[in-house]
Amino acid sequence: MMKHVYANLLQRPTRTIVSTLAIAVGVVLILVSVGLTYGQLADSAERTHRVGGDFMIQPPDASFFFALNSGTLPVKLQRVIEEVPGVEAATPVLAKFISERFHLVFGIDRETFEKVNTSLRFVKGRFFDRSDEVVVDTLYSASNSVNVGDRLDLLGRDFLVCGVFEQGTAARVLMPLQTLQEMNGTPDKATMFFARVEKGEDTDAVYRRLQEKMPHYKITRTADLQDIMAANTPVFRQFLTAIVFLAVVISFLIILLAMYSTITERTREIGILKSLGASKAYIVRLILEESFVICLLGVLAGFVLTFVAIRLILIVFPTMPVMIPGYWRISAAAMAVVGGILGALYPAVKASHLDPVKALGYE
Amino acid sequence: MSKTVELGQRRNIVVAENLRMVYRVGKVEVSALRGVDMTVREGEFVAVMGPSGCGKSTLLHLLGGLLTPTSGHVWIDGVDLTRVSDARRTEIRRHKIGFVFQRYNLLPTLSAAENIELARRIHGNGQRNGTRSNVEDILAMFGLEHKLHHKPSELSGGEQQRVAIARAIINRPAILLADEPTGNLDSVNSQMVLEMLQNLNQTHRQTIVMITHDPEAAAVASRILEMRDGKILNRVRNLYYTAESTGVQA
Repeated sequence: MMKHVYANLLQRPTRTIVSTLAIAVGVVLILVSVGLTYGQLADSAERTHRVGGDFMIQPPDASFFFALNSGTLPVKLQRVIEEVPGVEAATPVLAKFISERFHLVFGIDRETFEKVNTSLRFVKGRFFDRSDEVVVDTLYSASNSVNVGDRLDLLGRDFLVCGVFEQGTAARVLMPLQTLQEMNGTPDKATMFFARVEKGEDTDAVYRRLQEKMPHYKITRTADLQDIMAANTPVFRQFLTAIVFLAVVISFLIILLAMYSTITERTREIGILKSLGASKAYIVRLILEESFVICLLGVLAGFVLTFVAIRLILIVFPTMPVMIPGYWRISAAAMAVVGGILGALYPAVKASHLDPVKALGYE
Repeated sequence: MSKTVELGQRRNIVVAENLRMVYRVGKVEVSALRGVDMTVREGEFVAVMGPSGCGKSTLLHLLGGLLTPTSGHVWIDGVDLTRVSDARRTEIRRHKIGFVFQRYNLLPTLSAAENIELARRIHGNGQRNGTRSNVEDILAMFGLEHKLHHKPSELSGGEQQRVAIARAIINRPAILLADEPTGNLDSVNSQMVLEMLQNLNQTHRQTIVMITHDPEAAAVASRILEMRDGKILNRVRNLYYTAESTGVQA
């Protein structure tokens, strides 16, 4: 039967290629959306985690996507956090999203930041000392051709790049907290705080104490950030659900159209099969197998096109994090195949019910 | 015991009883068959002759279970096709009947060998049926061993029809139904195809019901039934088989 399936696919190369590409588009749609969403999530979680400390404290309704938050927490809250028994140090961070370059800038208080953070490693230069100095990470440095001693325009203000640190910690660009507060129009405000627990202290106990002391704040264990971000992102889940639905509908409609037209043009062939004694199930299976092969080719083409699309995205936006979890690759493939098979079902059943005599007489 | 008696003792493999077929064309009813009775015994080669539109093809489609009659009965090897489900009728067609058509009806995307292999797969309901004749042997039997991998478009009409006959008999059906098998062929190829059918009947005792409007084609059959206006005429011509063929006098 497979020979027959392959022969049919090769007989109509344009239809096969167009259907395959349409399925591939659905797969690319899912994988690129997932890649960008999860990449953003994972990268953000990892870099936030590597700011250091054991807890992150935010306003109660704050998002884990710092780009969506403004600076609303008073900086003096730092003392309140440090008063909690077991907390060694706390540091305020003001986050600002630079939309034209698609990255975050953190305004940090260097003195307290260095108490909390342990992972920041400079590969060139030094930490900032002055209000007009910034440090950038290696990825930002490479992708924007910015090095120590260069001038950098951020949000309309001129800065000196005084250091380049290894990527993976905090944000792409770090600047003095007070400078960013001024630029943001939110003096003495922060987006969040990071708190480090004293050595030997029970983290859970400190967590409970923090909750008691600050019952209306959102307190998160930085170790759990990645899982929490993935699980608590309803907007992204809805977005991905919509994309998946769209991809399934594309697969469904394309295969429905392709198979519907193919059974019309192959009516006589179906009549021949019936005259040979082919059962309805045999004809249904033949059409479904043909669709299945198109879907598989579409999935493979989709994987290749996704790879190309991501390379292109990274050329245009080098700092854009992309991550496609393995199970999403399987899901995208499954969705495309399921959509395709569902689309082929009606034409397949219709073909199996054709009147053999009329089909044999079809021109 | 003479072969004439032998034939007389053979069982009836095709029986049609008072077959009527009415087509509805818009609001008009057209009677294609008006009460056809016929019997074909195992090993017989019956030709059904008649002018265009007399109901020959409808009769063949009814015998092959491709159509259901308006009334009457068709028994194939003892099973009444009019009283079984569509699935069972398909199964009977798969196991008991082979079709040969005027237009060959080979699948254009498959080679000669693949067309025959497909029939074998369908016979095994999707599985390769290894107990049946070898595709290469059967094509060799029809002088097509060098055309195994040729697509129908690369074969002449005569070659295509030979492949179609090979396909029809690959699963050793009880009955071969041929619908104007020489209708699209020149005289040389027609003769070759008719000789093949005759040979199948005489050597392998293949039961054949052939529809034709060509008296020369019909002449190779052991019995000729004449049809006119949806009926088989009482005037049924019997042909004499030579001693070299079956030795049967029907």
